[in-house]
Amino acid sequence: MKTIAKAKINALLDEIAKKSNVLAPVAGDGASKFAPYTQGAPVSLDGRTLLPPKDIFFPQTEKMYKFTNNSLEGSLESSFEATKPQVLFGIRTCDAKSIHCLDHVFLTKGFVDEFYQTKRDNTLIVSIGCNGPAEPTCFCKSMDVNPQEADNVDVHLYDLGSEYGAVAKSEAGEAFLANYAALFGDADVKIPEVAGFPLNPNLEGVTEKLQKMFDHPLWEEVSRKCLGCGACTYLCPTCHCFDVSARVAGDQGFRFRCWDSCMFSEYTRMAGGHNPRPSKKERVRNRFLHKLQYFPERYGELLCTGCGRCVSKCPVNMDITNIIKQVREVEL
Amino acid sequence: MITEKMRTAAKDLLEKGEVTTVIGWEKGTFWYNSTPVFISKPEEVDRLVFDEFCANNLAKYLMDYRNAEGKTAVFVKGCDARGVNRLVQDYQVNRDKVFLIGIPCSGMKEAPKTAEKQDSSKLPLLKKCQECATPNPVVYDLLLGDPVSERQVPDRFSGVEAIEGKTADEKYAYWQSMHSQCIRCYACRNACPACNCRECCFDANGLNWLGKQNNVQENQMFAMTRAMHVAGRCIECGECERVCPMGLPIMEINRKILKDINELFGPQDAGMSLEDKPALGQFKLDDPEKFM
Amino acid sequence: MSLNSEALPKSQEVTAAPEASNQPWEPKIVGFACNWCTYAGADLAGLSRLQYPPSIRLIRVPCSGRTNPQFIIRAFQRGADGVLVAGCHPGDCHYSTGNYFTRRRFLLMQRLLEYMGIDPARFQARWISGSEGPKFQQVVTQMTEDIKALGPNRKMRDVE
Repeated sequence: MKTIAKAKINALLDEIAKKSNVLAPVAGDGASKFAPYTQGAPVSLDGRTLLPPKDIFFPQTEKMYKFTNNSLEGSLESSFEATKPQVLFGIRTCDAKSIHCLDHVFLTKGFVDEFYQTKRDNTLIVSIGCNGPAEPTCFCKSMDVNPQEADNVDVHLYDLGSEYGAVAKSEAGEAFLANYAALFGDADVKIPEVAGFPLNPNLEGVTEKLQKMFDHPLWEEVSRKCLGCGACTYLCPTCHCFDVSARVAGDQGFRFRCWDSCMFSEYTRMAGGHNPRPSKKERVRNRFLHKLQYFPERYGELLCTGCGRCVSKCPVNMDITNIIKQVREVEL
Repeated sequence: MITEKMRTAAKDLLEKGEVTTVIGWEKGTFWYNSTPVFISKPEEVDRLVFDEFCANNLAKYLMDYRNAEGKTAVFVKGCDARGVNRLVQDYQVNRDKVFLIGIPCSGMKEAPKTAEKQDSSKLPLLKKCQECATPNPVVYDLLLGDPVSERQVPDRFSGVEAIEGKTADEKYAYWQSMHSQCIRCYACRNACPACNCRECCFDANGLNWLGKQNNVQENQMFAMTRAMHVAGRCIECGECERVCPMGLPIMEINRKILKDINELFGPQDAGMSLEDKPALGQFKLDDPEKFM
Repeated sequence: MSLNSEALPKSQEVTAAPEASNQPWEPKIVGFACNWCTYAGADLAGLSRLQYPPSIRLIRVPCSGRTNPQFIIRAFQRGADGVLVAGCHPGDCHYSTGNYFTRRRFLLMQRLLEYMGIDPARFQARWISGSEGPKFQQVVTQMTEDIKALGPNRKMRDVE
């Protein structure tokens, strides 16, 4: 397998940065996230970032089109811009799986979101496997994610201790490894055993059971402590709901889309004021049913990748693994 | 042991039918998580705990129980009790429908980095607890445990003064940097007892006015608006800063306004008693006047 | 946590907008004028043919106390170089107490703006009664001069 010493990663990134934009977990003040890499910038590749890479493909605010609207004629001008080729370096396997889920949403079932597609098509993804939980709240192993493997990326790196083992997972990945072959060595490698995870929810039969639990009193109980903020939604690598709004000044303006959260009280409020999810119970129920039932029913996989960001950052410790446990224990 | 007393008090209240719900804390995911719990049956009181991780301000949940049948009991630390006063003063909660069980608090701890159990006495206090001047509940119907001695709080406004000492451009850069990191999750707003409007202006989605788009200026609009809306009513519980997933210095704005209120309108603290009116909800005829 | 106070995020480095090349820059001042006193005073200034710079754009509000701090923030974000809030003298409010709240609120607002890095001279509050036409002229003239000396406001400008 091709290998590269961890100490050489900055050199690799510097090489890549000569020819294309690089997004990596740049170390600095503030929360860890994928940011544009500049020559020599320190990167922190241990553990997972706090902010997921979904905003690389699905920005929090995105202009869609401009319009003018005077009384005799109007005009529409798309704000779509093809993305320049870039490299996304250092996402973890939970985040790689999340991109697979977002692909389902934005690229399949008859409508292709061009804004998402251009970013996806022009981004080369290099992922890194985990040999154990990056944080105590990680539980990817229980959510059909192999912590050490990612297949839907271009290059995948195995964490071998003082070096990474690199494998191309696509044609673009092979070209990438060929391009930078000078920095890679060749060695027989042994991929370490995966360590134990403190959190181990059991997902067996959960989707099927939830299908019968829409009116169950469990939702009333688990939703009581929820504050109704959007921390879980905005930190979640798979949450993808958005709102569409506009800014208008006189007779011109633009339409944009921005992230929204089903936890917000007015998420389902309609013109006229009716809100089919009027209380926290309905909204909390919706979140977990979407992750564990609706998405699997529609696309065949869970929408939660076990990254644990919501569990560690929720102000009141809403814990999806605990809810899964309670669902399993419920007697129907 | 406070935990034992909590369970006894809760069981007593529920069995006698004096309250229909008791709001307290129970253990969460790991040993260092304590999380809000809502008990309505006497058999469930053993879920209640009080330890150094019960940081959540439970007062806000009283808003969900405004129209509940019967009374609601809630355990309140020093900060939480001021939160209840805040809600009562803002006419959001009826004091007669609430039974307050006070718990003097020596401070809550930061969560450790690993899941293994360790000696919690070595963990540092939460920042908001280091800066707390009211560890003993100012209002309660029943007090569990003895009042704790008030800690020596470092100069309350030293953080504010440090920022005030910067030049205008440095200040601007500092705040722009903060606002560029905000993700507008509204955790600060939802955790705050002073943010208790039935419909927040940011939820009203006024086209062209306020919305969910995330950029530096919109985030600044949110931060400054929230600071002005809670001005004079902030109880310094620090929940906003604690719950922020990005670790933004939200209290530095609230404390700036507190400092100015103290300087301009006389020393005052919100939520200490039901008789005091919030600073911006009252006026004196001889208020300072810089205007001609 | 420490925030990097040296570097402004790239997107916020505002460059000077190309002003109309043949005219000197004139400040844009948004003025919130209370209907009963200040707006009447402004009206009187006009009737008396008192000249004052056309830099002020007046927004009539029923009482200076109706002015929401959000209006001030939005005014700066959407292009104002200065903001004025003016109302009746304390004790003369048409609604008895509105301007007492104005006084407290905008004392705090000005300090908060300064804390955010905005020059406090850009935000002014004044008491101008219905008969004080000359005072309205003087306030606007003075404020225009002050803002001219400070230059166009580049901070807090909308990114869109």
